[in-house]
Amino acid sequence: MTGQLTLWRTLFSHYRRHPGQLAMALLGIVLAGALYSGVQTINDQARDSFARAEAMLGGERVDRLQAPAGDQLQQADFVQLRRAGVPVSPLVRGQVTLENGQQLTLLGLDLPTLPPAMQPDAGAAGGSGTLGGSFMQPPWQLRLAPDSARALGLQSGDRPRLGDGRRLPPITLQPRLAPDSGITDIAAAAALLERGRHIDALLLPHSATLPPSLADRYRRVSADQALAPGELSASFRLNLTAMGLLALVVGLFIVHSAMGLALSQRLDSLAVLRALGVSRRALVTGVLIELLVLGVAGAILGLIAGVGLAGLLMPGVSQTLASLYDERVAGAVMLTPRAIASGLGMTLLGTLTAGLTTLRHAAGINVLASAHAAFEARGGMRRRLRLAALGAIVLLGAALLWWRLASASGGLLEGHRLAASFVVVAGLLIGSALGLPALLDGAITLFTRAGRRATLHWLLADTRAQLPRLSLALAALLLALSANLGVSGMVGGFRLTFLDWLDQRLSAELFVHAPADRVEAMQQWLAGQPGVGTVQRLRQLEGRVAGRPVDVRALPIDSHTRARWPLLNATADPWQRVARQDSVLINEQLARQLQRQPGDSLDFTTPEGRFNATIAGIYADYGNPRGELTLARAAAEGRWPTSADRTSLLLYDLHGDRQALAGQLQRHFALTGEDMIDQPALKQRARQVFERTFAITRALNALTLGVAALALLSALLALGRWRRARLAPLWAMGLTRRWLALASAGQILLLVLLTALLALPLGVLLNQALVALINVEAFGWRLPLHVFPLQLLQSVLVAGVVALLGGAITALQLWRTPPRRLLEEFRS
Amino acid sequence: MPDTDTPLLECRGLTKSFATPQGALTVLDGIDLVLERGESLALMGESGSGKSTLMHLVAGLDSFDRGSLRLGGEELGELSDRPLARLRRERIGLIFQQFHLVPSLDVRANLTLQARLAGRFDPDWCAHLLDRLELAGLERRYPEQLSGGQQQRLAIGRALAVRPELVLADEPTGNLDERAAGAVLELLLNLIDEHGCALMMITHSPAVAAPLKRRYRLTHGRLVDTTTDGA
Amino acid sequence: MTFDHARARRLLPLLLCLLLGACNGGREEHEQTGQGFADLGSAASGYRHARPGQTLSFPRDHGPHPGYRIEWWYLTANLHDSDGHTYGVQWTLFRQALAPPGEHPPASATGAWQSDQMWMANAAISSPEGHFALERFARGGTGQAGVTAQPFSAWLDDWQLSATGENLTPMQVEAGGTTSSGRTLGYRLQLEASGPLVLQGDQGFSRKSPDGQGSYYYSQPFLEAEGQLRLDGKRVAVEGRAWLDREWSSQLLGGDQRGWDWFSLHLDDGSRLMAFRLRGARHFISGSWIAPDGTVTPLGGDRLSLEPLATSRVADRELPLKWRITLPGRSLELTVEAEYADQWMDTAFPYWEGAVKVSGDRAGEGYLEMTGY
Repeated sequence: MTGQLTLWRTLFSHYRRHPGQLAMALLGIVLAGALYSGVQTINDQARDSFARAEAMLGGERVDRLQAPAGDQLQQADFVQLRRAGVPVSPLVRGQVTLENGQQLTLLGLDLPTLPPAMQPDAGAAGGSGTLGGSFMQPPWQLRLAPDSARALGLQSGDRPRLGDGRRLPPITLQPRLAPDSGITDIAAAAALLERGRHIDALLLPHSATLPPSLADRYRRVSADQALAPGELSASFRLNLTAMGLLALVVGLFIVHSAMGLALSQRLDSLAVLRALGVSRRALVTGVLIELLVLGVAGAILGLIAGVGLAGLLMPGVSQTLASLYDERVAGAVMLTPRAIASGLGMTLLGTLTAGLTTLRHAAGINVLASAHAAFEARGGMRRRLRLAALGAIVLLGAALLWWRLASASGGLLEGHRLAASFVVVAGLLIGSALGLPALLDGAITLFTRAGRRATLHWLLADTRAQLPRLSLALAALLLALSANLGVSGMVGGFRLTFLDWLDQRLSAELFVHAPADRVEAMQQWLAGQPGVGTVQRLRQLEGRVAGRPVDVRALPIDSHTRARWPLLNATADPWQRVARQDSVLINEQLARQLQRQPGDSLDFTTPEGRFNATIAGIYADYGNPRGELTLARAAAEGRWPTSADRTSLLLYDLHGDRQALAGQLQRHFALTGEDMIDQPALKQRARQVFERTFAITRALNALTLGVAALALLSALLALGRWRRARLAPLWAMGLTRRWLALASAGQILLLVLLTALLALPLGVLLNQALVALINVEAFGWRLPLHVFPLQLLQSVLVAGVVALLGGAITALQLWRTPPRRLLEEFRS
Repeated sequence: MPDTDTPLLECRGLTKSFATPQGALTVLDGIDLVLERGESLALMGESGSGKSTLMHLVAGLDSFDRGSLRLGGEELGELSDRPLARLRRERIGLIFQQFHLVPSLDVRANLTLQARLAGRFDPDWCAHLLDRLELAGLERRYPEQLSGGQQQRLAIGRALAVRPELVLADEPTGNLDERAAGAVLELLLNLIDEHGCALMMITHSPAVAAPLKRRYRLTHGRLVDTTTDGA
Repeated sequence: MTFDHARARRLLPLLLCLLLGACNGGREEHEQTGQGFADLGSAASGYRHARPGQTLSFPRDHGPHPGYRIEWWYLTANLHDSDGHTYGVQWTLFRQALAPPGEHPPASATGAWQSDQMWMANAAISSPEGHFALERFARGGTGQAGVTAQPFSAWLDDWQLSATGENLTPMQVEAGGTTSSGRTLGYRLQLEASGPLVLQGDQGFSRKSPDGQGSYYYSQPFLEAEGQLRLDGKRVAVEGRAWLDREWSSQLLGGDQRGWDWFSLHLDDGSRLMAFRLRGARHFISGSWIAPDGTVTPLGGDRLSLEPLATSRVADRELPLKWRITLPGRSLELTVEAEYADQWMDTAFPYWEGAVKVSGDRAGEGYLEMTGY
């Protein structure tokens, strides 16, 4: 036992003498762990919040009945269905603004009729017991999850005040409710939201049937076919996970090189220990324990740092999810045992993987042979070629899979298309990383042929010789740079496309839902208002295509419409065709669902019968999960009864006070605030969402890149002593230390810049895979590929800075090496 | 305790060859050698003659092809890594030309390293060694802060701290200047005497070999007794 | 937040408590049910109270009495199919006021959903294949549940008891649904009265304790029933006799009373017997002898005895499923025995309600209700 202890102390004594190396190794583990844990924590939070939101409305076991387009559900619908034996339960849902400006979603439920699936599990059933009495009677109760209450600065028993001075019911805490959502009796919610007898939906157990006579009067939305924010945000979270894993991998490169450095400096000592009678097993155990101690310490620190990171990023993420998918995520970070286990486990596993080389060396350490010889890089070109061949196979596989995904639907991939898309992306990255050493080798060999001067020749040959030791770090840099380019390219492209599209589609300044009985009067009134330019009338209807409901928009085909409906793909003269009433436009989602092209025919069902039309064009409809069809207003006449009408007025070219006009309209025609959409404000909000998403992406990218840079720098540090042995003869032959230092820096610069140049096409390819594969599979629409030359330039510049730093380190190491040290290289 | 009747070291027909691109190179070709307890022996020969190889075999650091090598009656060829390592740390003291100290350990920790690994650390003995090796007062220094002579004295101390039965020294003075070499050698021989263990030392210097009881020369894989030559 | 059983069990002892009265004695139940309970005594003061001497008026009193805390429309039927199998059917609508009249602003001021009235309906079928129970709930004021006096109709969702003629005859009753264990069941019966409405107790005022608490209580015990039961898709034609009880009150029981045993029996000579025992420190026993022509003779504790003969273990409780009923004045001794032991109502407010058969000096059949076990 004392022997073991002595061994460990001897092994650790290295770090006592070289705390910098310990710090570097720890930093690597901590960074890797922090990024991974941070992202996982955010993910867990989002997943948990979503699960809570879903569970609150019964998840998949509860469907919703909604009013057909143009109609609103009433209390009478509820009563009529109940009296027909259909077990529906009314739901009122809306936003209230608290006195302090914070928003709260209010769900009004009717306890006596609530579907069984919405009953919470036994664990959540705690709390005060006089449910019927105090929940259903004034002053009612507002049930809030503890974290929501904390976030709003409220506690049990409080009666928060709304912006307009009214009070909410007293708060009762109940775990597992969705974040920022409160549950209260439907009577309280209807009063607070001024709903009167209107209700927003009827909840119906998924297993319950609707008599045919009633089925036609409602739109039944089941959890699996609904807006499915779960799926949408799942893909957002999948992106986050991918990023977290990438960060973990890149971070572990640091661990690898830090451990490699510590090892290379201790090889002599390890050999001595073997000579002094330490068995192989004892030595391997000792090194393993060292790894474990480092790994555990780093993982714990990483977890703590990860939670900090999550805390920093969370507000942005939750706002993005909330705005994009109407999904609320609790703002406060919480750590689940799962997150802790996964964070610690992954980091530790990664550390051990990164330390495998060290372990292998410790196991195979040759007591006799020169330590340096043992650490001499194996293989060289042959190994590089083998790796490159493997890389080529992986790339080929990825390309084949991409081609399959792009050219065919159905088949084996069906149901796994999103996963397959991620496999393509992973294949691109891994294949390129594997091929990188051989590519760099080839490039340098080419330069070597071109150069004549002996020093240049030596310089390039020596650069090649460094490749095996640097290729791992360079691969990390390649991954980080190209992922950075790909992801920011996609987000940037998304932002650009989406904002463009928003500008066009939301070009009307005011969007007013007009009740059918008032629409004529409103149009007349508006015509008489000064400062009102164009008023367009839009009918929102519903039809069925292939048995599935689709939204239908009926528009006047005028210059405004033509100018504001950008088409992705169209026949010749699409608008003329639509105006002729025999053609329609469909959104991209519907086109992908049905696999139709412009010029194809489309059969759809209207309340008055079938309509066979030609598809004149396909338009982008970002963010809309449903299929949609647009036709000329005249074509809708006679096919939909006016009673099914949900009409909106689009007001363009407003001069004067928009808000004032909205207020007047509201008063004049007894509209509610929800009937008016101030489009510029909406656009403003969308813009903010993208800025936040952008900021998160930027932050994660910068961190990943930083980690990769650190990996390279630590690899260069590890190279220092080996370099000295190689450079000493040159110094002896009369080259100055200064020249050698600069030459070394140049070599690093060359390698890094070559890597960066390779990262450029890979980044663009990655961007293309993200927009053309992942986006399509996850969201149902494709983004055009945007390449941002500035981003490319920026990447090269960042790589250049990394290279300069690395070069400077190498140069400084040499510069500061006293000649005596170089001399020593000859003595041993 | 080992049987005192058998010789400490007994080699019979020890053969070792290395694979080279030009085919197998036989370095040791049937070595017979017996070393009694407390005996000292110098091993001389040209560079590449196989001196170090023989020493590595004796230390259990390397394996041989044929023959028998018994240390205190134990056949080394039959031992696996763990008992070999144990034998090495408990019964053998190794002194290298390059000192091979652990750079991250201070003088005291380096000196006591093997003794502690073997679980037979004796503070009085180590204090005595520090004293005798003139390292007292330098205990908190690190190897890089010592002169070459001091480093080699420390290496000697490390080998002796474990109270080995056999000290193997590979050119212990080869890295030292003449004056330091003389002093270190004298100290080594005195301590070996004092401790009463056997010594096998590789050297190419007849002067260094001279004070030892027996002298052998390795040529063409064979061992030649030169004890009586020009002594 | 939701209406799970665990919570409902806490809500509905409240209902039980209202049925039972002021609940002064039930300290343990106070603990279990939380703070809302403590207010009941004072809250009761805002309600109207049943008093002797009030004349009931029909059809008005077929309808609801929202000023009283608790009220029910309670139908039980003993039925037989052509093979001689015995069935029991129960249809009950409870109304409960959550607050006394005037305590809350009227619904017109607080919105379309606010109501002080809660409705609960229970339906059950006892059959040779087992006992099946269903329950439904509704808030008042929406039309999902309610009662109208003229024409008479009582409903919650698609469960309905309604008369097509005057004075509760003829009537039709129906209910159905799926139990939590997935069994589907339902029934639809035509009911025809062969005798008059019967005012229980003192001209419709039924005393429930020596302190004078009581309820308004009238019955229609002369209903002939005919119709169809549905049990997991199987249809069974049945006929038999049914009994409708109507009762409303604000404070039904004395403070120490814990539960009751309640009998409604059809005897083969055409007479009917209603008898109950309220279990307290001293049991309070009361009943009515109803001659075939509808003439009522109230039975006080001295003229009626109810005696459990044997208990059985049902739903983890020891329940007296066999009774001896003695009417000393009439030299009548009856043995009453459950048709099926398990007629347990595993509803939010659990109780035993089931068909019984009568033997001894008279043969017959009827219903027994036991609460508070």
